[in-house]
Amino acid sequence: MIGRKILQTVASAALLSALSASPLLAHEQAGVGGGLASGLLHPLTGLDHLVAMVAVGIWGAQLGGVAIWVLPVVFPLVMAFGAVLGILKIGLPVPELVIALSALVLGLAVALRIRVPFAAAAAIVAIFAVFHGHAHGAELPSSANPLAYGCGFVVATGLLHACGITIGALARWPGGERIIRGVGAAIAALGGYFLVASLGVTA
Amino acid sequence: MSTRLKTTLLTCLVWLAQSGIADAHIVSARLGDFYAGALHPLLTLQDVLTWAALGLLAGSLGAASGRWLVLVFPLGLCAGLTLAVSAGVAPTSPLVDALSILMLGLLLASALRIPVMLVCFIAFAIGMMRGAVNAGELTPQMDRFLYGAGLACAGYVVITLVMALTLTVRRPETAPISSWRGIAVRAVGGWVAAIGLMMAGLSLAP
Amino acid sequence: MSLRALLFVLLALAAPLLPRPVAAHQATLGVLEFREMRPGAYIGRWTTLPKDSENRIELKMPAHCFLRLPELNCGDKGLVGQMTIANLGEDMSAAIIRVTSLDGKTNSYTISAANPVVTVLGTGAPTLETWLELGKTYVNLGIDHILLGADHLLFVLGLIWIVQGGWRLFKTITAFTVGHSASLAATAFGWIGVPEAPLNACIALSIVFVGVEIIKQQRGEIGLTARYPWAVAFSFGLVHGIGFASALAGLGLERRILPAALLFFNVGVEIGQILFVALVLALIWAHRRLGAVMPRWGVELPAYAIGSVSMFWFLGRLARVLVAV
Repeated sequence: MIGRKILQTVASAALLSALSASPLLAHEQAGVGGGLASGLLHPLTGLDHLVAMVAVGIWGAQLGGVAIWVLPVVFPLVMAFGAVLGILKIGLPVPELVIALSALVLGLAVALRIRVPFAAAAAIVAIFAVFHGHAHGAELPSSANPLAYGCGFVVATGLLHACGITIGALARWPGGERIIRGVGAAIAALGGYFLVASLGVTA
Repeated sequence: MSTRLKTTLLTCLVWLAQSGIADAHIVSARLGDFYAGALHPLLTLQDVLTWAALGLLAGSLGAASGRWLVLVFPLGLCAGLTLAVSAGVAPTSPLVDALSILMLGLLLASALRIPVMLVCFIAFAIGMMRGAVNAGELTPQMDRFLYGAGLACAGYVVITLVMALTLTVRRPETAPISSWRGIAVRAVGGWVAAIGLMMAGLSLAP
Repeated sequence: MSLRALLFVLLALAAPLLPRPVAAHQATLGVLEFREMRPGAYIGRWTTLPKDSENRIELKMPAHCFLRLPELNCGDKGLVGQMTIANLGEDMSAAIIRVTSLDGKTNSYTISAANPVVTVLGTGAPTLETWLELGKTYVNLGIDHILLGADHLLFVLGLIWIVQGGWRLFKTITAFTVGHSASLAATAFGWIGVPEAPLNACIALSIVFVGVEIIKQQRGEIGLTARYPWAVAFSFGLVHGIGFASALAGLGLERRILPAALLFFNVGVEIGQILFVALVLALIWAHRRLGAVMPRWGVELPAYAIGSVSMFWFLGRLARVLVAV
């Protein structure tokens, strides 16, 4: 229920900004509108990416302290680093597997409230972020305006992340903790499904 | 009127102003070259992003260093335009653009205390670069003076408004950098740096 | 120049505010005639055309029309929408399009280099679509006109400078708006006619006046504008409004769409003006926020700049008046 709501909110926000920005910019630069739209929509279309991004936000909010402000600042940067690897066609081992695993691991971490030292959490998130960014970079449509695609991509990712942090903030209210764990469990279940699916593909 | 309401109103007005002017077919008239110079960068994503990032950076450093940019940045734009027109300097490569955006984003995200002179130097250099790029749109039958004036005015308006808005968002200035307002500004820095990084990758792409 | 002397000059220049037809153009005219042969189908030809301009002129008809001179076919919709003649060139100051419909009625539309577009209404009652088209055209024209009119904008800037902001500024700008709307309407309907050259000189002088008033205010004197800002804004608004009308005058508007066109044009002018005022107020706020204000020695600089620019305009325009006489 909540996941759907978030999806709707994010999608409508993305659509709104795409609609308001593209006519203005499309006026001068060819392909900017399309680049923005595809960049914005790309992180939203794959469910495996989407839930992992939200899970990172929730987990960051759960960990609290330094994590709550380091993650939003550094996370997009690491994703972009992964995307550059993907664009340059530098291969990573078993990408589908790691991406499916990321949803499972992050979902479990949220559902079970696993508390690890900040450095460990940062390392886990960074590795997953590189893989997600890599997948997006490798699938980059060649016709799109690069800058517009990058803007859309980063903004969509950031908004997903912000959604996760907002869900994490629900913990302040009574009963909020239970909702968060529920969302985490759902994400973990999805991750498990994707994991099985990708194993089925590779096997 | 509360400050937040004022800020919102101002943002709305700026947005309205942009879309309103873009609708008008103003560029074809005699003074049109002024508006051609002012509108071209505002309709180019590269310029909008770089200028806004510079404004955010200067604004986040506080009023004391920001206020110099009100003059320095438009001057840099004019200098770049003049240089490109007179010496015929070729526009910069996309990689340089991407790296400048990445640098601005990293500076913003790291929240370093940058000395005033360095900020002014960065602003002037970025102004020169963007001014030179915008010279590419200057056709021979255009009035160069009007075009340059329009470009400088657009630069002045954008940089001044963005700096003031940033300053207002992260108020009070004595608050610790880990307050959520400060984090919001730094997070935007992270986003800008990420965009710059992706751009750099795309410009190197085979 | 003392204030009284300034007002005197202003009055002297405003004296020829008597009905007078707009001066005829000196340069050659092109005349394009269309005669309706069947409903929606026209035969057109240039009856007068300056030499060598036929290949250069770009004639555009509404999108649903098919044009290959002498043939023009607009189908069931008829000749409705925007006609454009671009690239008139130097040897032709204006072109007239004369359309004779099946019932023998003739309508004329004037096109000039500054206003290359005219809007044609069908013979029937105007539909919603035509109104929207008309509104879009004239609102845009109004916005263009105010944003391209550096003298109008400079005057408004001067008013903002003197009145500073708040409720008083709102009243002042409203008074200016009422003033220029009234005289714009009066000129467009032909109730008053003013030759363009002296009027433009008057407009320039009004900005000089505002510049002088700013300096006075900075020296601690309470000038006329500071005391009765709305009165000053209203009376100069009258002068500026006649200036706005010159943009509409060259369009050769049909009588029956004139009120609507006037309304839309005025709306466009107000939109442009509100945008400009909002931008200036936003910049003033931003400068306060940044503490980026003029150093003590430069406080009077902007007012002197406004004054000098407008005085330069005034002298140039005055010279044009004298040459014409």
